[in-house]
Amino acid sequence: MTVEPIVPNPDLVVVGAGCAGLAAAIAFKRARPEAHVVVLEKAAGPGFHNLSGAVLEAGPIHALLDIADPNWRDTPAARHVLGQRVRRDDVLFFTDARSVVSLKPALKAARSMGLGFGGLLHDGDLIVSVSQLTAWLSDLATRAGVEVLHGFPVRDVILDENGLATGIRTIDQGLDHERRPQPNFLPGEIVHAGAVVLAEGPLGYATEDFVARGGLVRNNPPVFSVGIKEIVEVPEERYAKFGSGRVMHALGWPLWTPVVGPAMFGGGILYSMGARRIAVGIIIGADWNYHDFIPQDAYARFKEHTLVQRFIAGGTVVEAGAKMIPEGGFHALPRDPETGAIGRKNVVIVGDSAGFVNVNKIKGLHNAIASGLAAGNTVAASLHAPAEIAPIYTRELEAQGVLLEMNGARNVRQTVARLGNLWGLPLSAVTGLFPRISVEPDRAAMTRESYSLKLKRPFDKDAFVAAAKVEHREGQPIHCEVLDPTLCATTCAETFDRPCVKFCPAGVYEVIQGTMKPVNPTNCVHCKTCQNKCPYDNLRWHPLEGGGGPKWEGM
Amino acid sequence: MSHAIVLVKQVPDVSKITDNAFDPETGNLMRANLPCVVNELDVQALAFAARMQALQTGSGGRILVLTMGPPAAEEALRFCLARGADQAVLLSDRLLGGADTWATANPLAYAIRRIQRDLLDGSSDVYVVAGMQSVDGDTAQVPAQVAEELQVPCVAYATDVERVDDRLRFTRIISGGRQIVAPLRMPAVITVASYAFPLYPTVARTRWAQRAEVVRWGAADVQARSIGSKGSKTTVIRVFPPPKTSRRCEDARDAAGLARALETSRQVTNAPTARSNRRYVLPRHRADPLDRSFEGLEKQVQAFKDLARILRDRGATDLASIPTDVREQVHGELDASVGKAAVEGMMQNLSQVDPSYRGDVWVVAEEQGGEIHPATFELIGKARDLADSLGVKVGTVLAGSGVADHARPLIEAGADTVHLLDDPRLSPFDPGFHRKVVSAAILRHEPQIVLFAATPQGRVLAPMVSYRCECGLTADCTGLDILDNTRRGEVGILHQTRPALGGNVMATICTRGSRSQMATARPGVMQRLPPDPARTGEVFHEPVDLQEDDRHMEILFTEVGTAHVNFDADVIVSGGRGLGSREAYERLVGDLSGALARRFGVTVERGASRAAVEEGFSDRSHQVGQTGTAVGPKIYVALGISGAIQHMIGVANSQTIVAVNRDPQAPILKQCDYYLVGSVEQIVPEVVRVLEGENP
Repeated sequence: MTVEPIVPNPDLVVVGAGCAGLAAAIAFKRARPEAHVVVLEKAAGPGFHNLSGAVLEAGPIHALLDIADPNWRDTPAARHVLGQRVRRDDVLFFTDARSVVSLKPALKAARSMGLGFGGLLHDGDLIVSVSQLTAWLSDLATRAGVEVLHGFPVRDVILDENGLATGIRTIDQGLDHERRPQPNFLPGEIVHAGAVVLAEGPLGYATEDFVARGGLVRNNPPVFSVGIKEIVEVPEERYAKFGSGRVMHALGWPLWTPVVGPAMFGGGILYSMGARRIAVGIIIGADWNYHDFIPQDAYARFKEHTLVQRFIAGGTVVEAGAKMIPEGGFHALPRDPETGAIGRKNVVIVGDSAGFVNVNKIKGLHNAIASGLAAGNTVAASLHAPAEIAPIYTRELEAQGVLLEMNGARNVRQTVARLGNLWGLPLSAVTGLFPRISVEPDRAAMTRESYSLKLKRPFDKDAFVAAAKVEHREGQPIHCEVLDPTLCATTCAETFDRPCVKFCPAGVYEVIQGTMKPVNPTNCVHCKTCQNKCPYDNLRWHPLEGGGGPKWEGM
Repeated sequence: MSHAIVLVKQVPDVSKITDNAFDPETGNLMRANLPCVVNELDVQALAFAARMQALQTGSGGRILVLTMGPPAAEEALRFCLARGADQAVLLSDRLLGGADTWATANPLAYAIRRIQRDLLDGSSDVYVVAGMQSVDGDTAQVPAQVAEELQVPCVAYATDVERVDDRLRFTRIISGGRQIVAPLRMPAVITVASYAFPLYPTVARTRWAQRAEVVRWGAADVQARSIGSKGSKTTVIRVFPPPKTSRRCEDARDAAGLARALETSRQVTNAPTARSNRRYVLPRHRADPLDRSFEGLEKQVQAFKDLARILRDRGATDLASIPTDVREQVHGELDASVGKAAVEGMMQNLSQVDPSYRGDVWVVAEEQGGEIHPATFELIGKARDLADSLGVKVGTVLAGSGVADHARPLIEAGADTVHLLDDPRLSPFDPGFHRKVVSAAILRHEPQIVLFAATPQGRVLAPMVSYRCECGLTADCTGLDILDNTRRGEVGILHQTRPALGGNVMATICTRGSRSQMATARPGVMQRLPPDPARTGEVFHEPVDLQEDDRHMEILFTEVGTAHVNFDADVIVSGGRGLGSREAYERLVGDLSGALARRFGVTVERGASRAAVEEGFSDRSHQVGQTGTAVGPKIYVALGISGAIQHMIGVANSQTIVAVNRDPQAPILKQCDYYLVGSVEQIVPEVVRVLEGENP
């Protein structure tokens, strides 16, 4: 190559091409058509790293689509992506492997009394695959003139001496196992930009680095749930039995049964996705305290339940994945202590990277989109005053009620974390009355207890990884950093028997000849549970080379 | 400072091919239905070209990318621009569609000439760099044929490049080893077999690539001689799904299960699948003049049966002039199911009894290091079969230095004639010399069929020879049959069947517009005959006309594995890149080999994948696969081998294949009998323990 090509610097760079990031980019570009906006995404293609339930409130997505393409309603993509509207909504409680109690009457009562928990009801919302929604938004963004670039993991935000961002830097690529440069070594590239939107999803790599360096503070530690999800293609008659437009949430077994059983936060889901496909999943509060817990064990148990079997027996898994959901809520939002902004100066944090999930509703997508729109609009209007972007963005979120909604749900997870499901779940409906309940990080919850519903035969994580369509270049540096290997070999081995080996949904970690190692780094589905849940905070997840990871198309 | 023109191809993502991807009528792939990617080896070729540039001093050398394809292939070009290419040329025209390798290489070569003239200021200091083959066609013919059209040297199967004394030297794969060479003239074509360091895009280049101007040329802009399906020399006559794998693909679950599977496999004695193909009989030798039971398609055989019935009923015995009323009856009964034009063709050509081609069936023999390649004998076995059907002789042509002694074994293997091209310059192999003398012999004797082995050497020689002789060529055939296509007036023609699209489909291909029908066949696929010392044959010394200018490359270094390896062993335990180190290879492959030998009392040999040999885990002589040795043991154990097609071809004749691999998506897991997913470090010692125990 002879000359480095010359292109104009972007006015805005967005890190992460999920719904929030694309919303920001689209809003920005529509407001300032002459300006340049670049979205950098680590996945190989649109939607490949996006996983969600997902039941979506129509409001924000319609607002976004109206901005992106006024004629979106008439497009085939609209019918394809937004075709499933919730028509039947069940909230159930599994008391054991066979029995079911409906919670719906209680929830309706809760809603009529204005209690938070009524938000679990979903009538009228949309069932979407967030991979497909993202792919569509990516297409709309590109048509609008946004430069959506795939295969670019970002390492950090570049800050000048005044704390203003001058751009971002991508990761080094083309290193071998020992971090020696190969002939194709490409050092991290700096992309200069007028403002930065961080939209990387939960535990964003550049986001967390920015939060630390920028001195942003979370009043509560961020807590998470782990979601395991599969798309199951079921026989015609089973799908007919389940019906289209149906969402089912099941609390209780196998995560929590009163008094003697396991006690974890969360529940199972079953959503109709059309074309004989049912999204089957389980969401588990990451503050489980069983040292030997494998999230997929609970997932497999859920699938074994008589009611679930009625709908999915004889089905085949067409796609699988895992992801974390930030559930820290209002008090875990990262804020600039000086201004209270979610972000700092010309860097703002949106979507799951900030943690806008409303735990009452177990939904965050609508807030992610709303936060993205607010960010895009703010940057477009305030490029001339970069230091003011983050405070204005945060006021915008307040004005739109996003923060108010978050505030209303602020204590659900924390209450459950403190009191357990038996008391915590019912009480969480009224803890909106308390200002803030502090909570420990998920990793602090580890004990030597065992999960009582372990599978007899180990869950086939290899098949799971294959169904996630994960690919990475072999031979790149190990991306799962073990900070102090001795700690794993001694304290953790003796105390908890190295829980990462069990809980990593992709089976990245193994004990070989007595030593715990990330033996299968290329299996990684990028969920980052390891970093969140290692009881000694001894693991760090780093981005892999661009284009690696899962290739989800229907998650 | 040299320029580079990189040939790239947009290919369907073969991992996403479904049954509906083909036009049922024409057999053409409906590419629009498949997601497309840039051919992986072409991505490597681009990186290789960038490496070549980086090694050279001075400035001004540019990298251009050229593709021929539909308008959407522009995406492939932008992909390359984002990764280091400076300029892109898209050769796109409806008239260019449906081309075979002949009609692809021809316009590409013309486009290259125009690029040199218009975009590179007439420079001839140009390397044409291409991936060795594409994942969809898998033929490896186009780059070599481009070289032949341009009359420039071809350095095939390159894996590395270095700069010594201001000159680029290329490491290339040869059978069982490697060679370091330098092309003797510029321009030169370099084909890349493997280069593990693909370029990463940068944000800036990617953004620039989206804005960059792509040079667009149509057929008229390059004025090529042979284009599109009309200019092609082969036709796909049938596309069908591959035979269901007979491999069991069973998860052994754990080490004990794997040990049990090995025990079971030892006892299985499934004979090689007997081919039930009825031998072809020429129409003139058939008892019934109306017998047309050797058509390529079953439905055609049936149509001829129906036609014969009507003719017999009506007593129309003179096939050369079928009465009009009989003709009308035939049309009335058959047009609906067969089609009017086809029915007409059937009647018109029914009287044709002479074969369409004349001449012998030839095998181009391959010699390296004083030995005839085993694949040559396999091809002679097949040629014997074809020649007997046609009532002609089996000829072989052997080019080399001091090769007269090899004539006898070729005759014992089934050849009737041996044509020797003996000259000191013909050893070691140089594509420039060999393609010239072999072509000359073929043009002199006009055999009707010419077979080459699909070895690294054969896959360079065959495309060049076929191009020089203006004959169609089908690569990597797994089936070769003499059949008729009476409807088109073709009798006794070679039906060449081969896997395509990464083995996802099979295609039967026939040659057209050619004096000879040419094909390469994969080693280990055809059966050699037991040597017959009583056989006699004729040996001819052919004239050799060579000039020093014909030489393509200077060979600077050759390394071929020499250690004695017994690949006829009952069990072969092979290790791949997944073993991680030479130490691990020695330990794991060694331990398992030892345990199997002791437990079963059989001979066990060690094998290695090409990658493992490249990494230095094992000596070259142990390399198994298309570029190493094709093996067929009772049990083949693959440790840490992903199962690239080149490797799997070389082990296809194994009775049982057992694989241990960490990657649940490794292709080998779908092409083996038993597998275990997991770390070899963990599994192998466990299996050894079980095997050494009392009761596996």
